[in-house]
Amino acid sequence: MNASRTILVVEDNALVAKFYRLALERAGGFACMLSEDVSEILAAVKAGRIDLAILDVSLGQSEWEGHPIDGIDLARLLKQHAPRRLPILLATAHAMAGDRERLLAASGADDYLEKPVFDASLLVEKVQHLLGASGKVQGPTE
Amino acid sequence: METFIQEMKRYLGFHEADEQLLRQLSPRMDKYLPELAERFYSQIPHHPNAFRVFTGGEAQIARLKQTLQHWARGLFNGAYDEAYAEERYQIGYRHVRIGLEQKYVISAMGVVRAYLSECLLLEFPASDERLRYTRSLSRALDLDLNLMCESYMHATLENLRRLNEQLERANQELAHASRVKDEFVAHISHELRTPLNSILGFIKLILDGLGKDRGEEHELLRDAFSSGQHLLSIVNDLLDIARIEAGQMALHIEEVDPRHVLDSTLPLAAVQAASKNLKLRDATLGTALPLVEADEVRFREVLLNLLSNAVKFTAQGLVTVRAGVDNVSGFLRLEVEDTGVGIPAEQRVIVFEKFVQATTDVKGRRYEGTGLGLAISRKLVEMMGGQISLGTGADGRGTLVWFTLPLAGSDSSRKASASKGTSRIRAGQ
Repeated sequence: MNASRTILVVEDNALVAKFYRLALERAGGFACMLSEDVSEILAAVKAGRIDLAILDVSLGQSEWEGHPIDGIDLARLLKQHAPRRLPILLATAHAMAGDRERLLAASGADDYLEKPVFDASLLVEKVQHLLGASGKVQGPTE
Repeated sequence: METFIQEMKRYLGFHEADEQLLRQLSPRMDKYLPELAERFYSQIPHHPNAFRVFTGGEAQIARLKQTLQHWARGLFNGAYDEAYAEERYQIGYRHVRIGLEQKYVISAMGVVRAYLSECLLLEFPASDERLRYTRSLSRALDLDLNLMCESYMHATLENLRRLNEQLERANQELAHASRVKDEFVAHISHELRTPLNSILGFIKLILDGLGKDRGEEHELLRDAFSSGQHLLSIVNDLLDIARIEAGQMALHIEEVDPRHVLDSTLPLAAVQAASKNLKLRDATLGTALPLVEADEVRFREVLLNLLSNAVKFTAQGLVTVRAGVDNVSGFLRLEVEDTGVGIPAEQRVIVFEKFVQATTDVKGRRYEGTGLGLAISRKLVEMMGGQISLGTGADGRGTLVWFTLPLAGSDSSRKASASKGTSRIRAGQ
């Protein structure tokens, strides 16, 4: 039933992105979109094809309007352009004291994942929880 | 505005009349001055502080006796002006500089005062007259002592101010170093967590039975393994720099064939280069290279590090390795040149500092990595007696890094071994 839900993963480390995809597909039955291309990402979000986004904070490759963009700014950009409530999970290896509060406040993201993220079922649980919270707004899609 | 000496005279009640009295006294006191100098220098050199002044033996004392008489003559000739104040000031400053305490001057002045009082007693048996002279003389000596003490205070304050500035500066440097270290710890934490994510993630997927088939499981294990290797290289960098910092990096210096090092290192770099579609050009092929004095493992580490950097910071083009002998200096010089992002001139020194990465790609972004590679390479090259530096590539783009190693049996290698005091460095032998 999750197959109709698409999770966007923006992560600049190819292996970590691969782990998210496998975990979400295999343990949650979600569809995944992996991308670091901001215009592609934005088009998918605007078209309402994305149900939830997992964003890495440090993005090595992504650019927007000629400038590098990180997960914080991307989160705000996506929230701004999403046609309906779009839950965002910020995933980062920035794990010093105070990072969580600071990054959540700056990004407007809904929740925060501290790397290493390695338990597929915990990840899926968290994603489902966030999706559930937005389910009412979204209406019955299942 | 009142000058300091004017203020001091007013405070001590030292007037024109006193100066006149002292001038009258002058001709009668002249004959006592040699004895004053004798008395003074029979007592004052025994003062516990005196060793700071008396460093020049008998000749110095003979000179000082003349100076003392000159000063005493001046005392009776009454030129208590700015130049006089300035001279007393300079002496006070000098005393503070050499660490002579104020109590020395006070007790020296006590010796002068006691002897001159004796002289007045001889000259003026009638007490009325003597009292007038004694008072004026006493004021003059007070004035002199006050000037000296004032200069002590000023010089001490100035020293304190200077020390304070130094402390302030040291404090700022410490704060900066601590900030750099904090950022480093945060960055390292980030760098360690990323490969850990893949290692733990892929293994857990397999353990949870989420792999599609044996083939995929195998692929995931390979990914986990390569992440593990990446993690190991970060940990090795950290250990290296910690060891170097603690002075515990043991080098095994011996005669090394650079050809051997190149041949075993370049294939590793070629794999990295190929994965980014970069060309790796070995411009040393066919050149005979002389033996160098080096630690072979560390030599290889430095070369590989420079090559990896070149590949990492180059998006397209090629990486070139060159080697050549500088016969004059007795060093082998190795160069790694790339056509990559380059390092801005103002960052060419700081990239060799530990924890520092030339943070910018073109867009001002930090690259992956610990930022320790060049710091480690510099330390290793220097420990082996060579030098390392970087500049711009030949066509004004990219980066050219070069380092030198002493040729085997050359003066430079002997000097390097001698000057580096390699007993500890060679502890591995």
